[in-house]
Amino acid sequence: MADFLYVARNVSKHFFVGSRFSSQGLRTVHAVDDVSLEISQGETLGLVGESGCGKSTLGRCLARLYDVTYGALNFDGKDIAGLSNRGLRPLRAKLQMVFQDPSASLNPRRRVKDLIAEPLRIHTRMTKPQIAVRVAELLNEVGLLPDHAERFPHEFSGGQRQRIGIARAIALNPKMLILDEPVSALDVSVQAQIVNLLAGLQEKLGLTYVFVAHDLSVVRQVSTRIAVMYLGSIVEIGPAEDIFANPRHPYTQALISAVPEPDPSAKRNRIILQGDVPSPVNPPSGCRFHPRCPYAQAKCKIERPALLAEAKGRQVACHFPLSNG
Amino acid sequence: MLSVRDLCVSFRTEQGVLRAIDHVSFDVEAGEILGVVGESGSGKTVSLLAVMGLINDPNATVTGSIRFKGRELVGLKPSDLRKLRGRDMAMIFQDPMTALTPVYTIGTQIAEQITTHQNISKRAALDRAVQLLAEVNIPKPEEAISRYPHQLSGGMRQRAVIAMALSNNPSLLIADEPTTALDVTVQAQILDLVRKLQREHKSSVVFITHDMGVIAEIADHVMVMYAGRIAERANKAEIFRRPLHPYTRALLDSIPPLRGPRPPRLRAIPGAPPSLLHRTEACAFAPRCAKKIEICSLKPALRGTEHEVACHVVNHG
Repeated sequence: MADFLYVARNVSKHFFVGSRFSSQGLRTVHAVDDVSLEISQGETLGLVGESGCGKSTLGRCLARLYDVTYGALNFDGKDIAGLSNRGLRPLRAKLQMVFQDPSASLNPRRRVKDLIAEPLRIHTRMTKPQIAVRVAELLNEVGLLPDHAERFPHEFSGGQRQRIGIARAIALNPKMLILDEPVSALDVSVQAQIVNLLAGLQEKLGLTYVFVAHDLSVVRQVSTRIAVMYLGSIVEIGPAEDIFANPRHPYTQALISAVPEPDPSAKRNRIILQGDVPSPVNPPSGCRFHPRCPYAQAKCKIERPALLAEAKGRQVACHFPLSNG
Repeated sequence: MLSVRDLCVSFRTEQGVLRAIDHVSFDVEAGEILGVVGESGSGKTVSLLAVMGLINDPNATVTGSIRFKGRELVGLKPSDLRKLRGRDMAMIFQDPMTALTPVYTIGTQIAEQITTHQNISKRAALDRAVQLLAEVNIPKPEEAISRYPHQLSGGMRQRAVIAMALSNNPSLLIADEPTTALDVTVQAQILDLVRKLQREHKSSVVFITHDMGVIAEIADHVMVMYAGRIAERANKAEIFRRPLHPYTRALLDSIPPLRGPRPPRLRAIPGAPPSLLHRTEACAFAPRCAKKIEICSLKPALRGTEHEVACHVVNHG
């Protein structure tokens, strides 16, 4: 366990919907269901899946923005699953989060310099001049100009606002960033800039990333390893290029084949899944993917497959994994 | 089928006049799928809203000519436009709830669309609604017509809206990012459906998207827009095999690959799309363009026959 920066064991997060007094009673949403994973120092773990698969919820559990319902979280050698809000404070400096919509996470009435200085004021004993120096350093780090410090968030484009969000997240020299769809709200021509910025920062500062996104080509580009989620559970995990070249889980295969490729001459077998993702309130029996799986057999309806280790650092949760060379 | 000439759309704002569409001309032929690609603010949506006659902001001015089946639409009476919309041309949006009201059932809403334009009974219209829902692959269509929009998933709602748009067999369907809010697996289903319906109904489709991958899947012809102007236009194979405009090229280069080795860094386009408030006479892409030369301070004309491009460097170099 010593080699890993982050270890999550059997993490579950349940939400409750409805009311005890409604006709359907209080129902449980199994947003994250018994997820275990390890994250090494300096790597990027991509979390992918369709909306409602629990990837964002898992990201927020890892950042301890949510309390976990069950399970253990070990970050940098410390158990953080049970920490109180006060106990979490030192953790916040080491484990930061970047959100999809930068304008929603930036106070519109404060100047950029104050937004970036805020974590420094809260967590450090730096003096005002020291803070000003650090803010200038951070602006430069994320590719903004020194005179941007005096401006307000609305004066920036989406890409620049995301840069501000990133500057704020790295202000305290964290070990790990949890990035929740950091480029999804940006224009295509700007996405690549932010992807490159994140890659550069990772190399320079030795950061570890959890990159949550639904855009598979972006996740393939940034990730060391990718975990594919379906209805709250990880169905497959492994090295990024490997997963794309040889998906073992039928869901991974279908998901990758559904991505439209910007090349009309590309030959491929598109697998069109029928139906929608079932409700996590009432997940199907057995393997949760079986109602949409083109290869489902009788066993899949009854028995839930465990996530089992395979060669080359891969794991797959399927009774009949694909063997495509 | 549709012929747009010199279309300009401007909005008066507190900060001055914003020219969202700047002299745009294009044609849509019968039975083709025209893909319109561009970023936010490129004018892809506004130009097609103008075609539908849906720009009725008092601060907006629409000039130029839009001819649909030989009939001039600019300056047409709202009542005449209403007769065209929903019957001869229909539009679907990114968010299906823009076209659905939450308080009526799906069946009622589709039937209303039919009885507005055709002289048939409500019962016959409802039967037609069931057929249409079956056509867009909604399971158990007889039950689905009595459902309310909130009881359907996002993908199912988008199907219902497509069924509604097709209810009067329009000859032109405008689809504005209809799959952007959907998951990739559902997007694949909807793209399949649009292609199938286009073949069966032989209608023309204008498909607006920001995703080059979706364009590669669905379009026959492609029009690349940037800052309210057309940057490049050609058939799909040409655009992807031989992109001429530096913007089209840069856009294709900046997309991370889905196969093969991963580049250590993506080839990003520097800067951000320009503000449309303070338009200059220069090429709109020049500030971000790596191939910029002196003459780029003048607006380039769209030139070429089969493969048109608005770029001084390409046209003169």
